Amino acid sequence: MGDSSQVGLVIEAESLVKVYRQGGVRAVDGLNLRVRRGEIYAFIGANGSGKTTAINMMTGALAPTSGIIRVLGVEQPRNRHEVASLIGVAPQEYSLYQDLTVDENLEFFAGLNGVEQGLLGERAGELLDILNLRGRRRTPVSELSGGMKRRVSIACALIHDPEIVFFDEATVGVDPVLRQFFWGYFRSLAERGVTIVVTSHVMDEAERADRIGLMRAGRLIEEGTPSELKQRHGVNTVEEVFLKLSGGVTVDG
Amino acid sequence: MMIAMPAIVMVIFGLALSGEVKNIPILVQNLDVGYEAQAGPGVSISVESGADLAEALQGDDSLRVVTGSYEDGVTGVDDGDYFAAVRIPADFSERLYRRMRGEDVDVVVDVYVDGTKPAIRASILGAVGDSLRSLGDGGGLEVAQVLAFGGAEYSGLDVSIPSVMGFVLTFLVLLISLIIINRETAMGTLQRLYTTPLTAFERLLGYVIALLVLGMMMSGVVLLVGVVFFQVTVRGSFTLLFISAFLYALTHVLLAVFLSNFARNELQAVQLAPIIALPSMALSGMLVPVNSLPDYIQPIARLVPLYYGNRVFEGVMLKGYGVGELSGDLLVISGMAAVFLILAAMTVKDRIDA
Ligand SMILES: Nc1ncnc2c1ncn2[C@@H]1O[C@H](COP(=O)(O)OP(=O)(O)OP(=O)(O)O)[C@@H](O)[C@H]1O
Ligand SMILES: [Mg+2]
Repeated sequence: MGDSSQVGLVIEAESLVKVYRQGGVRAVDGLNLRVRRGEIYAFIGANGSGKTTAINMMTGALAPTSGIIRVLGVEQPRNRHEVASLIGVAPQEYSLYQDLTVDENLEFFAGLNGVEQGLLGERAGELLDILNLRGRRRTPVSELSGGMKRRVSIACALIHDPEIVFFDEATVGVDPVLRQFFWGYFRSLAERGVTIVVTSHVMDEAERADRIGLMRAGRLIEEGTPSELKQRHGVNTVEEVFLKLSGGVTVDG
Repeated sequence: MMIAMPAIVMVIFGLALSGEVKNIPILVQNLDVGYEAQAGPGVSISVESGADLAEALQGDDSLRVVTGSYEDGVTGVDDGDYFAAVRIPADFSERLYRRMRGEDVDVVVDVYVDGTKPAIRASILGAVGDSLRSLGDGGGLEVAQVLAFGGAEYSGLDVSIPSVMGFVLTFLVLLISLIIINRETAMGTLQRLYTTPLTAFERLLGYVIALLVLGMMMSGVVLLVGVVFFQVTVRGSFTLLFISAFLYALTHVLLAVFLSNFARNELQAVQLAPIIALPSMALSGMLVPVNSLPDYIQPIARLVPLYYGNRVFEGVMLKGYGVGELSGDLLVISGMAAVFLILAAMTVKDRIDA
């Protein structure tokens, strides 16, 4: 891999642009981004500001219209197969097989990512304990509550012990107690060197990230640690920064 | 699409089913040598009743008459080229003349006929009987019928089982495949798959294998119900039937994978299946023999996989055909599978918005 991974950069975006063919929306408009190994990076921004689009280009699920996006030193999506198993994704939708049980979903995505059968049971057990799903292993996903599905989705993103995880609004629908607990877990992952990129509309959640990127109309209009942002704008919470900068401006609004 | 679908289906069915059964290919051999009859002292008339009969058959719209030797005709029926072979005997004129004069002789025409299509068999026998009676209705005119393919009488159920197989492997396979593939988008799992090491082609293969198993299970059920509950007999080999069903299902699974690109949601996916399957059935020879279709539609029928599928399923199940007789049709089906595989592989998506 390139020099970038040596200096600890795991995600590098340069002048990233995405114009959707359907509708022609300029969803991401010249995004520049650098995320270091072991960092928790939170995207915030109004609905339609381009967070999901940006993340999809990082995971290799979406090709940029122009610009360059490198993940672990590898250009996405052209060489995405080289790093795919090092990336974990919990998309904004649940993205689970509704007819399969929790265990079967985990087994399926683990298999696709090349997790050995012997390791699977252990990994699955560990994750389901953390995500408080142990009693639901044999339940079909369709019979789970919304928050439980979200947790299974997170488990599927982590089952292969990836180096980078993308959680697109991963904690929507998760109750406050569990959410608190998750963030503790995310932090422990980050300390082990796992890089975590999240999007969130919950500002006290964003407050726990190492760095925050605020998006508006496909651009990163503000970036920094939570305290930097608060200081820069002379406010006490990230929420106030968000309200001040996004000010209800939405792409589709 | 919601408006186009009923229109397309109606137009195709209308065109395909508008006419009567016609142009049924049969072979006629006229061995009749004619007859010089003494009508009275010094008055002789010569009759060529065999030629008259042959002409009457030629003039019948429901038939398309080829002349040739009866043996070739019999082989042709066995091979599925003709539906019947008709032989007018050498003494036909003489016997008919004597019968008309009140003598007690039988006038017999031999017909070797394909019994696997009861409606067509009835049309042919009806047409031959009518032509015969048009020569003179003195009674004693007989059609000696020999049924092809071992002479078995096929019940309506027997002859419908190959069609049900064709239907299941066309309509149900398309429908279920399209729905299952579409669910991947609807549930969002496709988006997750795009981020795993799985390649687009591997995903395609995965669909094909899983859906083939499903298709084979469905055709297995059709056969099982037919054989166990309705005592349908399969004359040919089960192995060949299995291989044929497999190939045919493969064609439609691949077609479904290709077509899934054009279905943006479940509603469209559900509609695509009948858009393909219903015209296929109308054109395949399942309802009306392809020869009876309007001339300009017949070439289109030759492009429909079910046309070949039908020939194969009927061939194995009713006619007892082996690989030899079916190799041509199986080859065409394999060719179509190859074409659909290429189309599917060329269009399978590797990411969102591609
Ligand atoms: N598949 C698509 N095809 C066409 N346009 C799209 C597609 N996905 C998103 N868009 C458009 O791109 C813009 C950015 O959408 P995106 O989903 O990236 O926003 P977001 O920041 O994730 O919003 P949210 O907070 O609601 O999840 C929107 O205007 C949206 O309408
Ligand atoms: Mg989003």
